[in-house]
Order: sequence, then structure tokens, then C-alpha cells
Amino acid sequence: MTATATTGARVDAKGLTDIGKKRKANEDHFVVLTLRKAVEVRDSSLADPQVFERLRGPEGWLFVVADGVGGSAGGALASETAVTTLVEFLGQATASFNRIEPDKEHELLEQLEAAVHAAHRKITETYGGGADRGRNAPSGPATTLTMALLVWPRAYIVHVGDSRAFYLRKGQLRQLTRDQTTGEYMVNMGVWTEEQAAAAPVGGTLVSAVGADEMTPAVGLVDLQAGDTLMLCTDGLTRHVNDERITELLGRGTDAAGACRELVDEALAGGGHDNITVIVARMA
Amino acid sequence: MIQKKVCMVGVQGTGKTSLVQQFVHSMFSDRYLSTVGVKIDRKALDLDGTPLTIVLWDLAGRDGQEDITTSYLRGAHAILYVADGTRKETCDQLGELRALAREAAGEVPELLALNKIDLTDRWALDKRYEETLAREWDLVRTSAKSGTGVEEAFQRLGRATLATKEARS
Repeated sequence: MTATATTGARVDAKGLTDIGKKRKANEDHFVVLTLRKAVEVRDSSLADPQVFERLRGPEGWLFVVADGVGGSAGGALASETAVTTLVEFLGQATASFNRIEPDKEHELLEQLEAAVHAAHRKITETYGGGADRGRNAPSGPATTLTMALLVWPRAYIVHVGDSRAFYLRKGQLRQLTRDQTTGEYMVNMGVWTEEQAAAAPVGGTLVSAVGADEMTPAVGLVDLQAGDTLMLCTDGLTRHVNDERITELLGRGTDAAGACRELVDEALAGGGHDNITVIVARMA
Repeated sequence: MIQKKVCMVGVQGTGKTSLVQQFVHSMFSDRYLSTVGVKIDRKALDLDGTPLTIVLWDLAGRDGQEDITTSYLRGAHAILYVADGTRKETCDQLGELRALAREAAGEVPELLALNKIDLTDRWALDKRYEETLAREWDLVRTSAKSGTGVEEAFQRLGRATLATKEARS
């Protein structure tokens, strides 16, 4: 998927998901889409109807990855529901992407968070679970959710769980998200070392997920530049492919589709223990 | 609900993120992870009966290779500068940072958090230098670790945003 945004940025974006080698089902989902307020003149007596082109809003790109947890079909349903609900919610708020003035930016950020909360509600209402469930009721399915809304040049990131967002600039890979896992929390609190967290059986347990008892979206943003690459992925990639290797693969400069393929193949070659999902967006 | 954007500006490693963590979540971690881009947090305050939500923009700190990205400062209602009292060079750069920030955000309320006051054995500023800083800045001595001065710094800045001409009109 390649398009030139009205702002002049050319974005080549693609996503790819793979079941991996060990799992019986793919519980990951992703979406790459554009959002735009469009004015299209179908007919007119005006001398220059193209004047209305100026009403066409800048294009927003939305990238979402979600990694369902909960076993059997539950995880896949949770991630699918989260992605669908998120897109529906944001699609109804398209006016927000028309033009983002600095004094209106907080409204957009609230909309993005509200979209994640809407997905959380939808999952807990549909499949049970969440903090409001009965005391003895089993926890329902849940999902990670990492999204980036790109309104050039700014990428707004909202993230829950341990799916990650990175960007590559001039050969340097930077992680935009921090995993919401027990291991990360214990290291932050100074209880465990990073090595202990990596070795602990519960180190990778999510402390926050969409549909789970605890759901705390983390919000951030970054201004991108031409030449940058944005990458979102589930942990099926990062458990097998380290940052150095991701940097190397993304740095090859292949198109977005090729970069996705290379990353997924690398994770499969590393063992493919989990479902693998990657979105790559190249800015030119 | 009144919302005000407050940007955190300073050299890398001065404790901007730790101040936000302490203020918003009452947490402190010794682990250092540099901020990438901007992290955003919110905190609702009640300032003498006036509800105010501070939207905190925690900007990646200035380092030897990259300056702060001034486009993040547009639309800021206030700026909290953060310097590390155990590294004098972080204070020496405040003037440059202030010039950059004012160019992007205009004249908005500002305050300096002179951070890490708990590290007394490593304190690098003499009394005279601190007096000079206090003359040039609305200054609060803070410790993200103990929480000293943190609430005061943000509350004082929050009050300043409410007192601006724009907020009154």
C-alpha cells in the first residue's frame, strides 16, 4: 500500500502476519489504513471546481497490531474485536484528522485513548472478563494493542501490552513503547535485574491488556522525517529477532512489503514459537 | 474542564520522566531509560476550587547529538525546565534551552525544577551559582526520588497557567 499524502509525504506501508511454527491458530491481527475527509466534485457549473480541493483534509494513516491472549479461539476474537472496534470508533471521528491545530491536539489524543477504551469495553461486554466481572468468574480473552496514527509528520502512539512500536532513523532503531509486563515492572522497581526478568517464567506476563482486569494505555508521539521507517510488531517477532538484527533488516531499504517478509522470515528461522505480525511504513 | 499543556524540557538524564512518574503515579525508579519522542501523561488538579487537568508532555532530553524538537512545544501553556544539581552542565544549558523554547512556544509561564536534591554528596552547585539561578528563574528544588518539591512545582506552574491573560479571558 503506497500513497502520497496531501501533505507531500510519500508513505509505503504494508503489514504481514504469520501463524508461526508452534501455534495451532493465529491470534494476531493487524490493519493498515488511511483516513481522510474528502471533497470530491462530481459535477459543477463553476469555472474552476477544483477550488474545492483545498477542503480535502490531510491524510491520516492508521497502523494497528494486536496479539490476542486467552487460548483456543478467545485470543483471536479479542484481537479481532479490538482492531475492529478501534477502527470503527476512529472512523466516526474522522473530523479530528482534518487539521490538527496545537490547541486541539489534546482532543485527538483523548479520542485515541477513548478508542482503546471502547475496544476494552466491547471485549469485556462480549466475552466477559475485565475488572468488573464477578469475583469467581474466569478471566476472559484479552489482547495487546499497539497503534500509530500518522498525520504527517507526527505519529501518535497508543499502546497496551507488549506489542511494540519502533522507528528507524539514520541507522538507529528507537523503541517508542515500553512493555507492560511483570518483568518490565519488576525491573523498573529495582526488584529484578533484566536478566532475572528474562529468565522468570512470569516475566512476560502482561500487567495491562485490552479486555483484562487492568488496562492502562500509554500515550506518546514522535515527529517523523523523510527517510524514517516506522515499525509495529507483536512479540512473535521480538522474541526471536533482536534490535540489532531488526536494524539491519530494516536498514536494507527494501520496500515495506519486502521488509515485512524479511522480518517474518527471520522470526520463523529463529524458531517461530509464536504468531508473528509486523507492519512496516517507509516515509519518503 | 480546563486542560493545559505543560512541556518538560531539559538535558537528557535530568529526571524529567521521574518527576512525571512521581507526580502522576507516586512512583520512583532508579532505572534509567531515555525518553524517545514524547511521552504524554495527565493529572487532574484542584487548585483552590478550580479543576484543572495538566497534560504533561515529557520531551526527549537534549543530548550531545540531538537538540530538543521544538515543534513539540507549539501550543504549550507552560514549560517546566528540569536541571540536575549533580551535573552543572545541565544548568549551564538552561539559557539556550529557554531561548529555543520561547521561540517555539512564546512567552508562557515557566519554572525551573532543580532536581536530585537527595543526592547531597554529589551536589555540584555552589551557593553563589544557585543564587544566580534563583534570580533568573522561578525555581523549586525537587527530588523525584523522595517527592520533595514535586507537587509544589507542578501546582505552582498550574496556577500560573490559570493566571495568564488567555486563561482569564
